[in-house]
Amino acid sequence: MASRGVGLEMEKMSVEQLRALKEQADLEFNLFQDSLNNIRTATARLEIASTALHDLSLRPQGKKMLVPLTASLYVPGTLDDSEKVLVDVGTGYFIEKTMMEGKEYCERKINLLKSNYDQLLEVATKKKSIADETGAILQAKLKQLAPIQ
Amino acid sequence: MGSTSALKELQRDLENKANDLSKLQKDIAKNHQVRKKYTIQLGENELVLKELDLLNEDANVYKLIGPVLVKQDLAEANANVRKRIDYISTELKRLDGILQDLEEKQNSKKEAIFKVQQRIQSLQAGKGKA
Repeated sequence: MASRGVGLEMEKMSVEQLRALKEQADLEFNLFQDSLNNIRTATARLEIASTALHDLSLRPQGKKMLVPLTASLYVPGTLDDSEKVLVDVGTGYFIEKTMMEGKEYCERKINLLKSNYDQLLEVATKKKSIADETGAILQAKLKQLAPIQ
Repeated sequence: MGSTSALKELQRDLENKANDLSKLQKDIAKNHQVRKKYTIQLGENELVLKELDLLNEDANVYKLIGPVLVKQDLAEANANVRKRIDYISTELKRLDGILQDLEEKQNSKKEAIFKVQQRIQSLQAGKGKA
């Protein structure tokens, strides 16, 4: 019923207004798509971090490893206590946590991102349907005007 | 002759007003950008605050200052993040006020431009008839 009301309003609008409306809706939808992609990338990175953490927890203390100093320079080292991890929580703050807490942190962040993703998806779908409806009405109007010529 | 110079004056006025309008619009766009940056920072700081709140008293907190990780007192870190959140919130409110003001100015400028355009049109119509 609500969309019918909006549809009636759009019927009264001119072709230019409809075109502008559709362009704006398309633009907003593209922005939503970009945000959705960003969230997906961030979630993937968090999942990699989570896997790395889990792997780290399996390694014994004193295990030989190669430590990256730069992207192309590694130095040999030994694994210290893997029970403590430093978590980057943002704005330059790092928190020392246990392995368990670190894993929980990753879980929490991943869940937060997933719920944000779902919410955003809902809004984006609505915006897309508005854009599609506007486009359909625009087409209908153009067809109406064409035969008159 | 009188009407031609009046016309020229109106057109100059229109140009000035159009320049003012475009400056206003640039200011509004800049305002939006700064607001976006602050909103993102606010969100990040609130996340940090949530994490800090979950910690025990004895948990270790470090702050990255340049290339150095410095151990911080949990209470101090909490206070700093809270202060930052307050500062950003006040900045955002201030920007909101400025934005409203700019938008009002923009609308009145648009109306003024419209009026000048109408006067130009009526002048030109008058000249055409003559």
